[in-house]
Order: sequence, then structure tokens, then C-alpha cells
Amino acid sequence: MALRSDYEHGRADSYRVATVIATDDDNRTADGHYKSRRKMPAKAAKKENLDDLKQELDIDHHKISPEELYQRFQTHPENGLSHAKAKENLERDGPNALTPPKQTPEWVKFCKNLFGGFAMLLWIGAILCFVAYSIQASTSEEPADDNLYLGIVLSAVVIVTGIFSYYQESKSSKIMESFKNMVPQFATVIREGEKLTLRAEDLVLGDVVEVKFGDRIPADIRIIEARTFKVDNSSLTGESEPQSRGAEFTHENPLETKNLAFFSTNAVEGTAKGVVISCGDHTVMGRIAGLASGLDTGETPIAKEIHHFIHLITGVAVFLGVTFFVIAFILGYHWLDAVIFLIGIIVANVPEGLLATVTVCLTLTAKRMASKNCLVKNLEAVETLGSTSTICSDKTGTLTQNRMTVAHMWFDNQIIEADTTEDQSGVQYDRTSPGFKALSRIATLCNRAEFKGGQDGVPVLKKEVSGDASEAALLKCMELALGDVMNIRKRNKKIAEVPFNSTNKYQVSIHETEDSGDPRFLLVMKGAPERILERCSTIFINGKEKVLDEEMKEAFNNAYMELGGLGERVLGFCDFMLPSDKYPSGFKFNTDDINFPIDNLRFVGLMSMIDPPRAAVPDAVAKCRSAGIKVIMVTGDHPITAKAIAKSVGIISEGNETVEDIAQRLNIPVSEVNPREAKAAVVHGAELRDVSSDQLDEILRYHTEIVFARTSPQQKLIIVEGCQRMGAIVAVTGDGVNDSPALKKADIGVAMGIAGSDVSKQAADMILLDDNFASIVTGVEEGRLIFDNLKKSIAYTLTSNIPEISPFLAFILCDIPLPLGTVTILCIDLGTDMIPAISLAYEQAESDIMKRQPRDPYRDNLVNRRLISMAYGQIGMIQAAAGFFVYFVIMAENGFLPMKLFGIRKMWDSKAVNDLTDSYGQEWTYRDRKTLEYTCHTAFFISIVVVQWADLIICKTRRNSIFQQGMRNWALNFGLVFETVLAAFLSYCPGMEKGLRMYPLKLVWWFPAIPFALAIFIYDETRRFYLRRNPGGWLEQETYY
Amino acid sequence: MSKNNGKNAKGDFEFPQPARKQTFAQMIYDPYDKTFFGRTGKNWGQLMIFYTVFYIILAALFTICMQGLLSSIDDNQPKWQLKESLIGTNPGLGFRPLSEQTERGSVIEFDGKKPAESDYWISLINDFLKDYNHTEGTPKKHCDYSQTHRPTDVCLVDTAAFGSCSPDKNYGYKSNEPCIFLKLNKIFGWVPDVYESPQSGMPQELQKVINDTKVEERQQIWVSCNGHFGKDKENFQNISYYPSQGFPIYYYPYLNQPGYLSPLVAVQFKSPPKGIMMDVECRAWAKNVIYSGSARDRMGSVTFQIIVD
Repeated sequence: MALRSDYEHGRADSYRVATVIATDDDNRTADGHYKSRRKMPAKAAKKENLDDLKQELDIDHHKISPEELYQRFQTHPENGLSHAKAKENLERDGPNALTPPKQTPEWVKFCKNLFGGFAMLLWIGAILCFVAYSIQASTSEEPADDNLYLGIVLSAVVIVTGIFSYYQESKSSKIMESFKNMVPQFATVIREGEKLTLRAEDLVLGDVVEVKFGDRIPADIRIIEARTFKVDNSSLTGESEPQSRGAEFTHENPLETKNLAFFSTNAVEGTAKGVVISCGDHTVMGRIAGLASGLDTGETPIAKEIHHFIHLITGVAVFLGVTFFVIAFILGYHWLDAVIFLIGIIVANVPEGLLATVTVCLTLTAKRMASKNCLVKNLEAVETLGSTSTICSDKTGTLTQNRMTVAHMWFDNQIIEADTTEDQSGVQYDRTSPGFKALSRIATLCNRAEFKGGQDGVPVLKKEVSGDASEAALLKCMELALGDVMNIRKRNKKIAEVPFNSTNKYQVSIHETEDSGDPRFLLVMKGAPERILERCSTIFINGKEKVLDEEMKEAFNNAYMELGGLGERVLGFCDFMLPSDKYPSGFKFNTDDINFPIDNLRFVGLMSMIDPPRAAVPDAVAKCRSAGIKVIMVTGDHPITAKAIAKSVGIISEGNETVEDIAQRLNIPVSEVNPREAKAAVVHGAELRDVSSDQLDEILRYHTEIVFARTSPQQKLIIVEGCQRMGAIVAVTGDGVNDSPALKKADIGVAMGIAGSDVSKQAADMILLDDNFASIVTGVEEGRLIFDNLKKSIAYTLTSNIPEISPFLAFILCDIPLPLGTVTILCIDLGTDMIPAISLAYEQAESDIMKRQPRDPYRDNLVNRRLISMAYGQIGMIQAAAGFFVYFVIMAENGFLPMKLFGIRKMWDSKAVNDLTDSYGQEWTYRDRKTLEYTCHTAFFISIVVVQWADLIICKTRRNSIFQQGMRNWALNFGLVFETVLAAFLSYCPGMEKGLRMYPLKLVWWFPAIPFALAIFIYDETRRFYLRRNPGGWLEQETYY
Repeated sequence: MSKNNGKNAKGDFEFPQPARKQTFAQMIYDPYDKTFFGRTGKNWGQLMIFYTVFYIILAALFTICMQGLLSSIDDNQPKWQLKESLIGTNPGLGFRPLSEQTERGSVIEFDGKKPAESDYWISLINDFLKDYNHTEGTPKKHCDYSQTHRPTDVCLVDTAAFGSCSPDKNYGYKSNEPCIFLKLNKIFGWVPDVYESPQSGMPQELQKVINDTKVEERQQIWVSCNGHFGKDKENFQNISYYPSQGFPIYYYPYLNQPGYLSPLVAVQFKSPPKGIMMDVECRAWAKNVIYSGSARDRMGSVTFQIIVD
């Protein structure tokens, strides 16, 4: 990636540099590989579009003179646009809103559900049914309507499951709608000299708007008038410091200059008036949003797994179907019979209910996660967090509280730690020393921040404050330490004030003191520590004023360096009692032409502030670590601050050093340190610019603990792509618009529900409602659990495929009457198996799933060879044996001994034969034979239900014994009862023999399957016993799915 | 702040990489790993042994269960009978000749002038009647209505009593007057409850036959053949039944007696229409034979088609 020189684009350490790409990004890395694993150079038109978006913001609205500006937009600073012109512009440019990302049309989504997955296979089955029926109908007068009936049932199954998954999908996309339709925004606009309040969408180019603190900037505006105006650009750039904005043009770069404010950023202080220079998608925000929506995200890991699985099952179905179609021909069957066999094999092979089961399981987990503050937008993303192997986390707001808090104080020549925890459970300090009293008096009085009204019940730390973040931090700290700050201020009335400005770097105010016996005025000052120190001649230590000598200066410097090294923002405080002879009460202080001393003051102390980490984060990071997830911090913040936070939350763990640390320890230049020795790394955005993708890979590979500081949105994207190139499944958290491309690119983007911008929420797959990193850990846990449980659920469902297919194969190969019909197969797949399969989603984890590595997306598949081997080769075979045994029992007890059945099929199914002889010489009419056959179907069905009891119980665990796991999953217990009751209902309900051809069974015919159910249970308990005894052994390699 | 962080060893975060791409040939045999279809010979061997043992045990379990089943079943009588069994208590009718080619269904098509066509049906009937003609070995009784009947008795079916449906007349097939043999399905232990007087609903001809029969000989399960759904009445005017128009009661009950043969009624269609399919439905009449003529739910009756070209 080549970039223009710093000269053109501002400071080297600025995020702004990388927002701009001078050369065309051809989506290739320096060595010519495609940057992204997934994105291939597909459509040229689309790519051009993207490149266009990645281009520099090429505007000059900030450079031209105001007059030229007014002329260009035919507007007037006082009167604004005319209504006619505004209307014309609105018609030309459209509303001032971001175009929502292109939605797939609803009918396309619906069709996808109707024809995707197994649906195609079932459609083929249904069509074959209709073809077979129409041929039968045209050749015989009284056609059997079995095929018509089955065709209708199959179509209904496909349509119903299609509608169901479409419904689920649209339900989860509605979650997003709720975010979209938030409170409409209003803007104050001047048109034809009148002040109007319009909806933000109705703004047009050239409108003159007024914004005040607390407003959201309604469009990109050029500021023409400002009063102490400050904006929070964090959602756009990631910089959390409010930036002051004014009318003057200060920089070539539009993002850098002071006279522009951007759409969707927030005004935090002051008021301003400006001219709208771009609207909607043409705003900076709109461009980034466009960049995000242009990124291809590819399939989620679970979607890949499901496709893999569908291919596998479809492959088996097609293979078996075609094979037996051919075999049937070779055996001399009529081709229509062969077609009917084909239908049977397809129906038996396709687990019709499985995709619906998977959807329900994912929905259940999504609901569970939502209750734990993880809102999932895309159902499939539920599992993605579980397979995540790298988390690229934003710092501000996610890892930290997003609230400047006083962390340390230095007075009486010692550093005192303040309590930074959210609930004030941390350390306490002595609040009675004279040093603290003096310091707190300055911090209280020399402070313009105030609590906003109407927050009586709110805890101090959570109260909203109007004013600068540092001042708010001081205010809160003092409110906690002293109590009612506003009252103190009232008692020490402010007489005069010089507000903070960037040239002085201090703030002074003069107060009357509450001590009524003392007529002297108090001067208090705070500001940049070195500037404050320059203005002091004495220092207040342990209640005594001392001369500020070199020794004290050294002490000051040490403290300053130490606090600065913690990444904290340090402020110095000093005061001075103005002598009453020179400044009697009633003295007029002039703040413009200063007529009071601001030198030789008394230095009192330092206070340092930081945005402290959230309480739950260190623990969450540690959990991620033990779960094998690499946590990378990516922030726009300063490296020192970033490193300090990283250390305090454990992203850089204790005892791990960066290259710089090693260099410092060994006292050698950084260049001599072997980078491989350092496990931790703090990478500066500026360094990242010059790094090739290979070098980035090296950084990502050889450092286990990485902090990226001062990064730009583009770089965040590059980091995500780098991680993905290494094979990681990447989760990205972010709240700003600047994060949205990375959120989109990530395998799972996690946006913040409170602080997050709409664009980031739109780009993300998941939203953390409480903005807390710790919630991600919950998500990971749930994701891993659902992956395990889906395996169990699929293993359970697939097992019954063998007893479903084998009757057909026996029917064709052994010429026996059909043991299990297609309708009964559907009753299993869509009836009795559904609830138990879903109930496995409620299963508890077998072991601590947060103690193992993330799954290997290439090898640890949802459905693997071992699962198929278990389900089809072992348990399924036992089940089939059970079914056939019941079949033989009923046939034999009614007169057809097993040997009699082989080769009888043709006669059995011939309507002309009205007197088929059984083993006892009895002669069966066609009708009686069919009753017997359907009774066998019912019994086969019931026996599958019986063996599925055992299968369900063994599927609860993959390694543990059921005696360790217990039967506490009540959904599953209900499932056991449910399938039994449903099976009994289908068998015994009058009328079923007409509708579904299910006949009532004698009670004794329930029992023959029981030995096989026991066999399944005993076999699998034994297998898992050996699995636990010999971890990694042969049995595990072949049967642990 | 966090305690577990120091534990991570080097290389903890080596991410998995996709498996190397294989050609189709390598998939079958990979000389590098020495694998066939992804497994080494040893690996295949182990898997085969595992599955062999597994299936042997499963087969053993199945065999044990089947042995248990067979030992619980009597050789001479079905476990479930009559109402308990799915065969029920309502016997259907069967007919011969029935082609062994099931695709031909129940159609009897021939041209008496073409020996190949008529011989086909004649030989089918010959095969069917073979058992009736070879009566030696098992003792059979010449039964009549006056005798007291023991359930174990096996009554003889006299093939000489079929009149013009005798083998020497080629069962009428050469003369385009085909004979069809009807038999009532055997149901273990079923005892008929006969009509001793004509019933309303019976065809006129049958009513007449019953009235003409001696009262002591009315102990029969009556049989009548007609056009299906009452169609084509004129074609069914000239039908003869041999030896009588019913199955005498003394053949019942069927108890799987050795040598038991079902009684037969030969039905001769003396004037079948030429070249037109004659759809015949024959039904049995007894108090405990329920009739249903629907195609899907046929009871107490049988249908077949005759085409004389």
C-alpha cells in the first residue's frame, strides 16, 4: 500500500493519513495475492464503484471564501435558501439520508428458502410422484392415488419448511428495523430568513443550519460562525477527544480542517452555524457506509458447514437413488416401478425436518444470547462467535467504560490511587490531609463542568455531565470525595474566569472564599502540568508551603513521567491567595487584559485521568485466552494509553514485554532486539502503513499479544484481512462509522448497542446491548455450545435414515413386501424426530467448553466422517435390525414366516392376486395383505421411535456417560414423552388407517424393538467408556464425532 | 489483573490451515501418505475388523431374537387366528387361470383358433388342478351333506364333476367358451354361516338356483358371477356353474389339515362377446361373508376380465 507523503496529509501519527489511499487499491497485497480470502475480482463495475469510494475526499468547500461558498450554493448566511430553491434541491438530490444497503428482494429470499438445501431433492421426488401418477392415471382406469398423495405431501413439506425458514429469517431481520426507526432527527434551518425546525432528511445543499451542544450534526457542514463549538468525531474517526471547530480554514485535508463538521458526529459543546455542503450518501459518513456495504462478506462458518452437510447427504441420496434405479432395471423391474423406488430412496435419504431443526436450534440460542445482551442480527452468526479464533477489539467503550475517570493524584509528594471501578468498590484514600483538601478545592472550583438536571437518583458516576470529559472526570471525583460540589461552588462564588485555550494551556478562576473571616480572593489554576509548574515558585507539601527547588521539581517530573507512562492524561493544579491589600473585595478583575498575578503561584499537585477498563473485561480476556482466542486491541488512541489499558485488562499479560520494553531493559537500541523474543507488540498506525502484508503476517504470527494503536479504518480492515489470511476466524468489535468496513469484513462484526453508530450496527452481525466486552465471552460460549449440540442433533436425526432406507433396499433386493412406507418415513422425519432433535439444543455442555481451543474450521466439521460412521454404520444398523425384527414378528405371527416372504413381492403387490397363500395355507386377499403390510409399516415406525429413545439418550453426550450428564434436560425428557405419545396417536387414532395408512398395533408389537434399544444404549455407553479411558485412541479417532 | 495470562506457551495461536489440495488420483491412491481413499492399508484393516466384529455381534443379536420368535410360533397353526389375525374373518374369492406374469393382471385374453394362446391358459389350469388329480398318499373322504362331519376330515374335490369344464374339453378354451375356476380363500378355523333361502339382492338366477336346490343341499356358500357394476347384462345370460353354484359347507373349517384342497366352482361363459373385454365380478354369498365391490377395498368377491378375440 503506497501512500502519499505525510506533508500532504497531516501528522504521521494521525488516523487521517490512512483514510486516504492515493493509489488505486486493486484488492491485491504487495506481492500480488488477493487481500481477502474470499473476495475475488468479480464484477468490474462493482469494483470501480468501490475504488471510487476508497478515493480521497476531493472537496474544496472548506478552502473557498465564505462569499464564494454562498454563491456556489445560492444561499445567504442570514436568510438561508429560498423555499423554492430548497424544494428544487431536494427534488434533485433526494432526501438527506443514507441509502440503506441494497436488500435482496423478498421474493428472491423466499425462493431461496423454497429451492435451497434439500428442497430441490424433494421437489424432484414430488415431480417424479406426479409423473408416476399421471402415467398410471393414463394407463389404468382406477389408478392407485398413492403417488398423487405422496407428491402432494412432499410438495407441502417443501413449501411449509420453506415458509418456516423464510419466516425465521425475516423475523431476525426485523431486529434491525427496530434500530432503523429510531427517533426522527430534527434540524434547525434558516430559510428565507425564518428559523424552521425540519426533519433532518429534508435538509438540502446550501441550507443554513444551526447546531448546538447535544445535537447530532445533520449533514456535512461548513461552519460560518461558532461559539466554543466542539464536536465528537469518535464515530467517524475513532478519536475520543472532542475537537474544537470554528469558521477558520486550517488545513488542506477536509477531515483535518476546523471549519467542517460531519454528518452524524455529535456536537458536545457550544453552538455553531453552518452551510450544508453535502448530504446523504455524499457525506463522509455516507462514503464509509458505502465502502462497508460494498464489501463481500462471504458465508458464515455454520452456513459452510450446513452446505457441506447438505452436499454430503445429497451425494449419498443421489448415489443410492441412481444405483438402485439401475439395479431395478437390471433386475427387470418396470421402469415406473424403478421411478417409484427412486422416490422412496430420496424421501428416505433426505432428513426433511433437519434444516428446520437447525433453524429452531439457532433461534433458541439467539434468544438466549439476546437475554444475555448479545443481539444477533443474522441467525447464522450465532455459531460464528463459537468458532472465532481471533477477536479484534476496539478499546474505547468496549474494553473501557468510555468515561474519563480520575485514576491517580499526586500531592504531598506521593501518588495516590483513586478508585476507578464502576461501582466504587476499589481502594479508598485519605481525604483529610491538607494536601488533598487544597487539591480538591482547586479541582472543584476551577471547573466548568456541571451535572445535567433531573438526574437525582442516578449514581454519581453514571450522571450525565455537560462539559469537557476531563472536567467531568474531576467533577465526579470531587462529588464522590466531598459531596455536593455545586453547593461548594456556591459558597465560593466565582468572580472571574479565564477559560482554557490551546495557547495558554491553562484555566484560571478567582473566587471569594467560604471563610467569611478571610476577605482575600482565591486564585485557582489548572492546566498542562509543565506549564503550571513554570508559573509556580512554591509547593504545598504536608500542609506547609515550601520553595519549589530542584529536588521538588525532580519529584514532580518523576510523578509526571510515571503517570504519563500509565497512559493517563495529567493535569497540574496550583492556587494562590490574592493579598487583600492589593485586591480588596469588590476589585474588578479583567480577564481579557489580565490584572492579577498568574505567576509565582503555589503548586499543589497533579491529577491524572484515564478511561478505565470495565470491571468484567480482565476476566473476560482471560477467559478468551484460556479458550484459545487471541485478543487483539485495535484503537485509534495513543499507543501509550492503549498499552496501559491493554496491560490492565490482560491483553498484554504480566511479564510479557514488547520489543521496546526489552530494548529498555537491556539498554540496547530497538533495532538490535530480535522481534521474535517479544511476545507482545504495540504497533503504531504509522508503522503499519509501511508494512507489507508479509510483514503484517509475521507480526500477527509471532506476537501473541498485539495492540494496534493510532489505526485508521482502512488499517483496521487490513488487520482483519491479515488475520483471515492466516486462517483465523475473526470477530471485530467497533462502534464508529470508521469501524464499519472492518465489521463487515470480519467473519462476525460486533457493534455496540449504546455507543454504536447506526452504520456500524448495520454492518455488524451482532449487537452488544450493554457495550461490554464480557458479553462477547457469553456469545463465544453459547456459540460453541450450539455447535456441539447441533452435532448431537444431527447425529440423532441422521441415525434414523438407515432404518428408513434399508426397507427400500430390502424391498428391491430381496423381493419382500415393503417394510416401511414413504408416508411413515415422513411421519418420523417431520413428526416424532422433530421435538427430540430440537430439545438437544437445550443440552448442557459436557465439559468446560471455554477451556478448549476454537474449532478448526477446516477439519472439525459439523458433520464429519466419524459422525456418519456412527449414525449410519453403527447405531443406524442396530435400529434397522430392530425394525426388520418387528416386521418379521408381525408377518410370522400372522402367517407369513420369514422364508416365505423372500421373492413374494410381485404376487404381494399384484391386485389380480386375490388369494395369496401364507405359510399355513391361508389365502390372503389383496386388501387383507395390504392391511398386514401397513400394520408392518406402523410397527416398523413404532420400533424406530422405540430405538430413537435410546438414540436420543446416547446423543446427549459425546464423551461422558449419561450417568455423569444426568437427565436434567427437561425439554429432552418432554421430547421422549412427546414422540411416544405422537407415535401412539398416529397408530391408534381412528381414521388414521384411511389418512396415513397407520393401523393400530397390538401392545406386544411395541416390545420386539426393546432389546435393540438396550443394545444401542449398552453399546454406546461402552464405547464412550473406552473413549474416556483411552483418550486419543483408535476408537476416538474413528467414532468421536 | 488477570491471572491465567502467563500460561500461554509459544505457538498457542498457530491458526489451522486448509488441507493441501488433492487431485482425483491422489484421492484414490496417495503415494505420499500411502493411502487409499484417505486411509492407509493398516487403517482400512482396523476399520474392517471393527465393523466385522460389530456386525457379527449385531447379526448374533438379530439371530437370537429371530430364534426366539420362531420358537414362539407353532408349525401347524398361525399364532393369531380369525379376528385376532389381520386376515380377519371375511374370506375373499380367488380364480384360476391366473397368469404368473403379474403385469397381465387379471385379464384372460385368448383366441380359441390360435392354439398358442388357448394352450397357455389350458396349461395354467392343468398345473392348478394337478394337486386335485393326484390324491394318493393322504386319505380323503367322499363327503356329502348327510354325513356328520369331523373337523379333521379332508373331503375330496372331484375333478370329474366339472362337466363341460373338463380337461378333455380343454376347459372350453378351444371352443371360445372359457371356464374359470373359483375358490373361496382359506382362513384358518373359519366356519361359514350359509344362506338357506334366497335373499333379496341376490341375482334372479341365483335365487332360482337356490329354490331349485334340495333343502338339505342348500348348505352352500353360494357364488354368482355378473358384469362388474351390473354392466353388459346380456353377455352374462349364458353362464354355467359346475358342480354346483356354491361351495358345500362340509369342506369347512380349514385347519391346515394335511392334503386339504379348496373346493372349486367351475364357471363357464358360454357366449362371451367377441373382441370385447368382459369385466366379470364373482361374489360369494354367506351370512358371514361381507361384500364390498370397491376397487380399493374389495371384500368377499373377485374380478377378472375375459377377452375372446
